[in-house]
Amino acid sequence: MRIAYYPGCVAQESGRELDVSTRWVCEKVGIELVEFPSFSCCGSGFIDEANQRLNLALNARNLAIAEKAGLDLLTICSTCQGMLSLANHRWQEAETRAQLEPALRQIGVAYRGSVKVKHLLQVLTEDIGLAQLKTLVKRPLSGLKVGAFYGCHLLRPQAELGFDDPEDPHTFEDLLTALGATPVMYRGRVMCCGFPILFVKESTANRIAANQIDDARAHGADAMATPCPLCHISLDSYQNRAETEVGHSLKTPIFHLPQLVGLALGATPDQLGLPRHLVPTDGALAKIAAKAST
Amino acid sequence: MATATITAEMDVFRFDPTSESKPRYQRYSLELPPHAPVLTALLKIREETDPTLTLRYSCRSAICGSCAMLINARSRLACQTPVGPEMERHGRIVIEPMGNQPVLRDLVVETEPFWRQYHRVEPYLKPDPLRPMPVGKETPMTPTEVKRFQETPRCIACGACYSACPAVTADPEFPGPMALAKLYRYVVDPRDGAHQDRLLRIQTSGLWLCLRCHLCTEACPKDVRPSERIRDLKELAIAAQGVTEPGSRHAVAFKDNIAEKGVLNEFKLARQSLGPSQLLGQLSQGVKIRRRKPELMKKPKPIDGHAEVVKLYELLDSDEEGTP
Repeated sequence: MRIAYYPGCVAQESGRELDVSTRWVCEKVGIELVEFPSFSCCGSGFIDEANQRLNLALNARNLAIAEKAGLDLLTICSTCQGMLSLANHRWQEAETRAQLEPALRQIGVAYRGSVKVKHLLQVLTEDIGLAQLKTLVKRPLSGLKVGAFYGCHLLRPQAELGFDDPEDPHTFEDLLTALGATPVMYRGRVMCCGFPILFVKESTANRIAANQIDDARAHGADAMATPCPLCHISLDSYQNRAETEVGHSLKTPIFHLPQLVGLALGATPDQLGLPRHLVPTDGALAKIAAKAST
Repeated sequence: MATATITAEMDVFRFDPTSESKPRYQRYSLELPPHAPVLTALLKIREETDPTLTLRYSCRSAICGSCAMLINARSRLACQTPVGPEMERHGRIVIEPMGNQPVLRDLVVETEPFWRQYHRVEPYLKPDPLRPMPVGKETPMTPTEVKRFQETPRCIACGACYSACPAVTADPEFPGPMALAKLYRYVVDPRDGAHQDRLLRIQTSGLWLCLRCHLCTEACPKDVRPSERIRDLKELAIAAQGVTEPGSRHAVAFKDNIAEKGVLNEFKLARQSLGPSQLLGQLSQGVKIRRRKPELMKKPKPIDGHAEVVKLYELLDSDEEGTP
C-alpha cells in the first residue's frame, strides 16, 4: 500500500531511531512511504492551547497536502495522530470550515476532509493484518514480557480518534502477541507519561512517568513499548530523572513500537537504532535470544 | 415471560482501615438480567447476602452523583453501568472505590480534597460592581453567550473525572478536572465580573498541570468534556494575560518556535521556554541525551512552503486577530 508519511518533528530530530525503524519495518511489510517535505509540525497539543484556530489551520494544511496527492496519511506518534484527527473531526463542522477556509484560501490551500489519518499501529493491524504479519516473523519475541504504553492521543478523546476502546484498548497487545511477545496488562498502559508538563513542572512529570513504569514492572513487564516518541522521551530519556524523583531504580527498557516489530521480523539492534536509547535494551534482547537458543 | 438472566461474577473491594491492615476482594455471584445496573447488583448483595457492604448512592438515576466508583478499572456511575456488557468484556466485574481519594470503608471514599479544590475556584457568580445585575429581574443572555458554557452546568459533581485523573494522583496542587470545568463556566459567563482575576489566579495555581490526557472526558457521565474546557481556559488565559508562568510560557514558546521553520527546533525550544534556573536544571540531562542523540542540537531546515505557514500565523495569530 502507498501512504503519505507524516513522521512528525521528534522522529526527524532526537528520536530518529523511530523514523529509521519505521522505514525498515514498512519496507519489509510492503508499505510504500510517500514523503512530503512540506508537512509542518502538528502543534503537539501546545499550539492548541495557545491558539486553537491556528492549530486547526496548520493541520488542515497538512491534511490537504495528502489529499491533493490522493493519499491517506500515516503517523508514527500518538500526539501527531491526535492533533491531525482533531483537525479532521472539527473539519466536519460547518462553523469551523467557515472560520478557517478564508485563511487557507489565501495560501492556495483547500481541504475537503477526505483523508484518513492512521497511526502505524492501525496500519499494521488493520491494513496489513496480524495474520500476514505473523507469516513474516523470523525471530518471535518469545519470553519477553512487554507492557504496551499507548500514549493518550492515540486513544482519546474517542469522539475524535474513533480507535479501539479509549480506556481499555487491546490492539497493541494483539500486535505484541502476534510478534510472539507476552503482553502485560496494567492500568498505567492508558495513562499519561507526563511529557506535556516536562517543561512546566519536571518533578511532577517525572513522578507520573515513574508511576506508569512502576505499574508495568509490578505486573511483570521486562520492557515497555510505546507508539509515541514523546512518551519515549519521558519514559526513556528522562527515566534516570524519574528514578531520582521517586528514589528507587526503574531500569526498564522502552521500545518504540516499530523497533519491536523490526526485531521480530529479523532486524539487528543497530538497524533499529537501539543503541541510541538512554536505558540499555540489552537485557530485553538477551531474553529473546535466550529463548530462541533453547 | 421472565427476562433471561446472566450470572454476574462480582469481585468487590472490601476494606475497613480502622480494623484491617490491607484490602481484600470478595467474590459474589448473582443472577441478574444483563441490563441491570451495577448499583442494583451491589444493593442486592447488601440486602440478601452481606449487610456490611458499604457504599454511597441515592437517586439511582444518574442525577445525584453519589455512586461513582471504579468498575473494571474505569471511573463510572454504578447506577448507569449495566452488568451485561461488563461480563461480556471482562468475564467478571471488579468493583473498587474511586481513585485519588482515601478509602473510609469499602466503596466509600473521603471526598474532602475534591470539594476543597472545588471551593478554591470560588464556584459562584461574582457580579461586576460597575455593572450590577438588575435586582428582581432576569439578566438576559444571547444564545451565543449561553452556548459557550452549555456543557459545564450539566456537571453533577460525581468525582469520576477526579478519580480518573493522573495529574491529581501526582500533584496535590492540580485542582482536578471538575473544579477547572466549573471555573471555565464562570470565566465565560457574561454576568461574572471577575474573569481577569479568576484567570490570573488559576494560571499560577495549577491550570497548567493538566496533562490533556482526556481521561476525564471519557470518564464523565454527563459529557461535560472537562479536558476540552481546560484547554479553552488555557487559551483564554493566554489571550487575556499572555505569558505568566512556565505553562503559558511553554505553549507560547512552542507556537513561536514552529513559526520559524514550520517544524520544531528542539534545542531552541528549551531556551525559549525555560527560565534560567529551569534551564540550568535541564542542562546536565541535555548533555546526557545529546551523547546518544546528537540531532538534539541540530537546527532543522525550513519546510517547503514555509511562507504558507508564516502567512497562516499572520492571518490567525496576530495581536489584532485575538482568539475566539
